[in-house]
Amino acid sequence: MVNLTIDDTQVTVPKDATIFDAAKAAGIRIPILCHDKKLQPFGGCRMCLVEVEQMKGRQIPACTTPVTEGMIVRTTTDEIVKARKLVLELLLLKHPIDCPVCDAAGDCDLQNLTYEYKVNLNRFQDEKFQHQIDYENPLIERDMNRCIHCGKCARICDEIVSYGAYTFMNRGIEAKIGTEFDGPLNCEFCGSCVSVCPVGALISRPFKFKARWWALNKVKSVCSYCGTGCQLTLGVKDGKVLTTIYDENQGFHNGQLCTRGRFGYQFVNSDKRLATPLIRKNGVLQQASWDEALTLVAAKLAEAKNAGGKAVAGLVTARLTNEELFLFKKLFKDGLGSDNIDHSAGYAHAALTAGAMESFGTVASPAAISDIQASDLLLVVKTDAYETHPVLGFEINLGVKRKEIDLRIISDKRGKLAKLPKAVTYVHKPGQEVALVNALAQVILAENLQDATATGIEGFEALKQQLADYAPENVAATCGLDADAIKNLARDYAKAAKALIILPLGLGYPGHGKALAQAIANLTLLTGKVGKEGCGVLYLGEKNNSQGAADLGVYPTAGGADADAIMTGCLNGSIKTLIVAGENPVVSYPDRKRVEAALDKVEFLVVQDLFLTETAAKAHVVLPACSFAEKGGTYTSVGRAVQRINQAIKPVGEARSDFAILNGLVASLTGSAPYADVAAVFAEIAATVPAYAGLSLAELGDTGAILPVTIKPRFVPAGAAVIPVESGKLALVTGSALYHCGTMSRFGEGPMHVCPEGYVELGRDDARALSVKEGDTVVVKSASGELKLKAKVGTRMPQGVVFAPYHFGEASVNSIAAGAAVTWVSISK
Amino acid sequence: MSNAPAEEIPTADIDLALANHVIDKYLTLPGNLMPVLQGIQEEYGYVPKPTIDLVAERLNIYPSQIYGVLTFYAQFHLKPRGKFIIRVCVGTACHVQGAPRIVETFFDKLGIGHAETTPDLRFTFEKVACLGACGMAPLAMVNDSTYGSMTVQKVGEIIADYSQRPMKK
Ligand code: SF4
Ligand code: SF4
Ligand code: SF4
Ligand code: FES
Ligand code: FES
Repeated sequence: MVNLTIDDTQVTVPKDATIFDAAKAAGIRIPILCHDKKLQPFGGCRMCLVEVEQMKGRQIPACTTPVTEGMIVRTTTDEIVKARKLVLELLLLKHPIDCPVCDAAGDCDLQNLTYEYKVNLNRFQDEKFQHQIDYENPLIERDMNRCIHCGKCARICDEIVSYGAYTFMNRGIEAKIGTEFDGPLNCEFCGSCVSVCPVGALISRPFKFKARWWALNKVKSVCSYCGTGCQLTLGVKDGKVLTTIYDENQGFHNGQLCTRGRFGYQFVNSDKRLATPLIRKNGVLQQASWDEALTLVAAKLAEAKNAGGKAVAGLVTARLTNEELFLFKKLFKDGLGSDNIDHSAGYAHAALTAGAMESFGTVASPAAISDIQASDLLLVVKTDAYETHPVLGFEINLGVKRKEIDLRIISDKRGKLAKLPKAVTYVHKPGQEVALVNALAQVILAENLQDATATGIEGFEALKQQLADYAPENVAATCGLDADAIKNLARDYAKAAKALIILPLGLGYPGHGKALAQAIANLTLLTGKVGKEGCGVLYLGEKNNSQGAADLGVYPTAGGADADAIMTGCLNGSIKTLIVAGENPVVSYPDRKRVEAALDKVEFLVVQDLFLTETAAKAHVVLPACSFAEKGGTYTSVGRAVQRINQAIKPVGEARSDFAILNGLVASLTGSAPYADVAAVFAEIAATVPAYAGLSLAELGDTGAILPVTIKPRFVPAGAAVIPVESGKLALVTGSALYHCGTMSRFGEGPMHVCPEGYVELGRDDARALSVKEGDTVVVKSASGELKLKAKVGTRMPQGVVFAPYHFGEASVNSIAAGAAVTWVSISK
Repeated sequence: MSNAPAEEIPTADIDLALANHVIDKYLTLPGNLMPVLQGIQEEYGYVPKPTIDLVAERLNIYPSQIYGVLTFYAQFHLKPRGKFIIRVCVGTACHVQGAPRIVETFFDKLGIGHAETTPDLRFTFEKVACLGACGMAPLAMVNDSTYGSMTVQKVGEIIADYSQRPMKK
């Protein structure tokens, strides 16, 4: 620690602190323009000049100068004020004073500092820049005339996002921030650059001219897309969510978001939102009142209950709040006497609810997000982890680039993560994950690399026997990897002092289920790499509340029908009533034809949703539900973080929250009084779900809490399914596109601007062999159907493997994929 | 940064074999970006866009950063250059001796401006700062040949002369 004096205040700070950090710790504000706490020190703007007595009053930048013992710093002398005024005058020389039409006004560091330092006239004169403004881009408007050359956009895109879209181009007076060949911006559109731009040079186009910054009501919430659980701030005016606002003090991610969180909010106020309940009359869905709709639903449910509850089932999305999921489960368990409930098609949560449950004795990740940067080696299963959970991808980028954490990737394709320095990617044949992970475990045993604790864990002998079949030499050919490569990877993992495994889950990843989770668990238990900092497994649940749905047991726990059995039940008539809350099985569950047939067959289908989805269109009753912005509650995200969302706007149209709908149904079917509010349900969760014990909604505050986890380890041998290879065919693997999450992002303007439709991605060799070029429409044919998709050609896919994202309703990939890890297809023009 | 194997990016008319060869040569050299770009310029006479994407992919550097480097250093050219590079000095001595008229005359006769190239790729014209031979002001150069005491008439002669020379190497 170092002691110094700043403006007569004594401060003690760590020795790697800068003067700026020290001043901040002492509560003294030093103005900055180019500095950002997330980025490496830059020292370009000279706004943060201070005087240090030991340097004879010389002015030095506070943001780059490290503290030294006994330093005496002055942050605001007359000389410094003069110098800062000069900096501002020089910037204003070129900067257009178009604040009246600039969206940054009110949130602009240059404007605020000009005001603070009373720079009301300029001693100098110069022509303004005449750069062309990029009005074309649908999401980010770039006006380089307003740019003050702080470099933050280029640095964040490089250091954290690792996309590197911008650079300083040209020299001297012509220098400006631009892209390659000064062309259009064609990037990930995470908006990080817009967030950190201190002026209005980069602005959010969808928000342009929507509202003045100071007129926005700012409401803290949590992103409702993926399981990362990024905190965000909604900018609200006149009952509408108009933008997301960057707050660098929110969350582990310092306010950074991905394109879905940043630009995907428009679904909230989409004009496609359902306005009223609908009831099917004479075969057509017609507007109805809530009274009529709820009376009908309650009556049908009462009938189902009286018939014994066997013939009623429920599918719910893991996007609902914990409180809503709790009510959903209660409706079935206590209200209807049925255990036929599930979410995420069953397989997309099995890694947690079956895999982790049997291996670790818990349904949660035995690791937290903070373990990413605390580790020595990250083993990522599929480069897709970046696409499914982009902001966790930023954490991986940071860990690998700044902390020099080793990165190992096993994947059926290459991807962005594979480009990181020190990344070693093992591209294996699709669907071979379990065999490969088993082989790693076998090497660890064969080479005696296991931890001393391993032999004491239940099931060790059985595992050892089972693994004997998985010697690298045995699986190398099927996995498409060298036996030596497998051995090296096993050694690297075993020998790292701390290692964390990252496993994305989701509807697009049918192979990431129980067996893979168990094979991975065995690996961590064998090497003693679980239950310690920087170790364990991070299961990346697909949806914002996937972890909550697992915690609350929203799946059959007493022998009821799971998602797949529910579909079968609908088809064979044993399930007659089905409630679907927020799920869209027609598009996202395997085998679209079968799902459609099942839903057409069921006698009474109720759908609660924001939109008239492909599934809702088949319903007998449709109930308009609220988005995350219209309600309060909690989500539990990756790494067991339970966080609050807050109501930002009144319900859109006549929509009611799933909480309100379910609370009413529970009361009417159980005959008990409805819960008073969300807090009351949260209290009951805290009282009944052990991990949530002792928590209260009020105490969660803005930061939330990390739930405790205890593990009861057990080795469970995981058998690798045999993937039948069809020669002459291509292996289709499904998954997530970076710009989307589930099927909801289709209603967000942002993601749809960037990625409007499904596609099939091929490697260059396959594309050449098929004479397919980027943008061609191709026919993809499998045993269960065929589909027309646009082709994308790139370097990600190895020969013989093609990829398609699953989010899209039209040409949905489940029309050709029926839930196998690999679907064999042929492609023609 | 991990270096990727040679990868072919299909383009209409740029033969990437030359660029791949240059990259192969410097692949393991630390700080190889400058020599690679210089080598590519040597081969093609300028740095074609497809070669930037190739370098980006093989050296694992952002294309934007390469573009930043290329536009920072005056030595790099992003467009094809003429076979004959005409440079007219506009330094102080040459300016006083009438360089502006020489420049104007070249502009007129060639139909191109500063740092531009004729469509037939024969001439590129550039204004340059003092070439260090002020005694010969006003001064012009065509590739490595120097022409002192330039006059409007000499401009015509130079253009006529170089218009007849063969385009092949
Ligand atoms: S939006 Fe994101 S990826 Fe695109 S330039 Fe900005 S920071 Fe980079
Ligand atoms: S665009 Fe904004 S963030 Fe980027 S250099 Fe200019 S002022 Fe800084
Ligand atoms: S989609 Fe996921 S990664 Fe992106 S902002 Fe939302 S929670 Fe964060
Ligand atoms: S903030 Fe310190 S130099 Fe810019
Ligand atoms: S000014 Fe032209 S050569 Fe010196």
